[in-house]
Amino acid sequence: MITIENLTKYYGSNRAVNHISFTINDNEILGFLGPNGAGKSTTMNMIAGYLPMSDGTVSIYGADITKEPLKAKKNIGYLPEIPPVYPDMKVKEYLSFCAGLKQVPRGERKDEIERVMKLLKVKDVEGKLIRNLSKGYKQRAGFAQALLGNPKFLILDEPTVGLDPNQVAEVRAIIKDLKKEHSVIFSSHILSEVSAVCDRVVIINKGDIRAIDTIENLERSVSASLTLHIKVKGDRTKAASVIEMTKGVKEITAIDDEGSSIYAFTVQLEGDFDTARDAIMAECIKNGVSILEIYADKPNLESVFIELINRPVKKSGLEELLEETPDESGEAEGESDENSEEKEEE
Amino acid sequence: MFPIYKKELQSFFYTPFAYAIAALFLLLFALPMANMISDLGKNTSVSANMMPFSFTEMFYSVILYFIFLLPILTMRTFADERKNGTEVLLMTSPVSVAKIVIAKFLANVTVYLFMIAGTLIFPIITAIKGEVVISQLICAYIGIFCWGLMYIALGMLISALTESSILAAIIGEVVMFMLLFIDDFANSGFMSQFPKAQSVLYAFAAQPRFAYFSEGFVRLSDLTFFASAIIVLLVWTYIAIEKRRWNRG
Repeated sequence: MITIENLTKYYGSNRAVNHISFTINDNEILGFLGPNGAGKSTTMNMIAGYLPMSDGTVSIYGADITKEPLKAKKNIGYLPEIPPVYPDMKVKEYLSFCAGLKQVPRGERKDEIERVMKLLKVKDVEGKLIRNLSKGYKQRAGFAQALLGNPKFLILDEPTVGLDPNQVAEVRAIIKDLKKEHSVIFSSHILSEVSAVCDRVVIINKGDIRAIDTIENLERSVSASLTLHIKVKGDRTKAASVIEMTKGVKEITAIDDEGSSIYAFTVQLEGDFDTARDAIMAECIKNGVSILEIYADKPNLESVFIELINRPVKKSGLEELLEETPDESGEAEGESDENSEEKEEE
Repeated sequence: MFPIYKKELQSFFYTPFAYAIAALFLLLFALPMANMISDLGKNTSVSANMMPFSFTEMFYSVILYFIFLLPILTMRTFADERKNGTEVLLMTSPVSVAKIVIAKFLANVTVYLFMIAGTLIFPIITAIKGEVVISQLICAYIGIFCWGLMYIALGMLISALTESSILAAIIGEVVMFMLLFIDDFANSGFMSQFPKAQSVLYAFAAQPRFAYFSEGFVRLSDLTFFASAIIVLLVWTYIAIEKRRWNRG
């Protein structure tokens, strides 16, 4: 199990990661989701032991990354945002170097390299200079490197960026497959990817954790305000008044005339969705309004994501509030965050 | 540690890099030798107290060429790792930063030995046609070896400080040039006004120490000077890398 506690990173006075804590269980794929500049790469660099943290601890299977870095790093396979490949090396040469670096025993090296090359489908370019490879192959060579020596814990920073749709599907399948033997933390700003691959998600924005939960729970959590679409046949005013009077309806936001006395209502609900829906249907039937169609906007991860990252963070204490005061305008804060991300990428 | 050493050597020897730099070194070595030999024929009558042709004299002029060659050798050491983003790979693998620095230093030293080994051909040719004072030659080689190691450590430090290998080479050349002439500066009329500063500067001067080697003396104090300079520079390199990780951003 990997435990991250209170992880914090300051770049000068700029706080890139703010006291975040979470755990990654064995055989779990944890999605790490956030917009650009949220602090994803910084966090991953800290977990991998590349960047020292300003505060907090990272423990990889019991080994603290700062106190016992060599022991901890033996269990880590890391694919950074930019694949760490040497342009002047051939793919096989590169992997053989990495295998040595990761202390794969000499006797197993050859088989291990073959295994990862097959897994990532880079076998056909093994003799090519990495310089001459396409972005997709470079990315896969970098990924292959992370899998060498079969480390228990994999850190993958946006592994599918720059791949074509076919390759993206392949890489996702590989990641899903990795779950059998590894724990994976996997960052992305692509939502569909995270929902397709991950067991749990950590949503982060501007260095703060916004949510840690399974995808289903997250989707459910924002279903408090729901939109219902109802198509009715009959008298418009009567239908409208019936719907509006029903308990659980907040307001009718739109009525579209679809011809031959069919009207489409868009209704905002409040309270429990199921009760409100049943109430509307019962009322309509009672009042002789025939319902042709009724369906709800299913909240997807996208809306969850947008809501979560835009939701203001609850300040845990006065101290933290006071700490925030120097950055008075929200815009300036946003800008400085962007700057820090740029610097990070450099 | 060994994989990094091997990788560095591969990057030198699988490309024309090491061969080109060694060839250039030999060429630069051959030029003063050719000059000196031809001068030897011309000038015998001119001055009575003329120095006899010696390799140690030649090594003296060769030091100057180091300034152009060694920064080119060391410029990529860390700058390229940063540029390629492969620094992350090294730092997140179970190898300590100290070992990375040592492995890279040893790889550079190996190429340097390869360069120096090539120059052995000149004493051999001379020995066939004339006479070589072996003991003095060995001392001069020890001196030039120590000097080169110091410059390699310095070049690595500069490479660790920047992301651009070209910049590392240029800064390296400037710093090494200054280091070479620091004793001339210390002896200058201007500096003699400040005897204390003069003695401090003089302590950093490597050239007078090399002079002892080239005259056939191996003094413990000179060896200590070079050894401590190398250790200080390597430790500084280590600190520079660690510091940048802490300050990044």
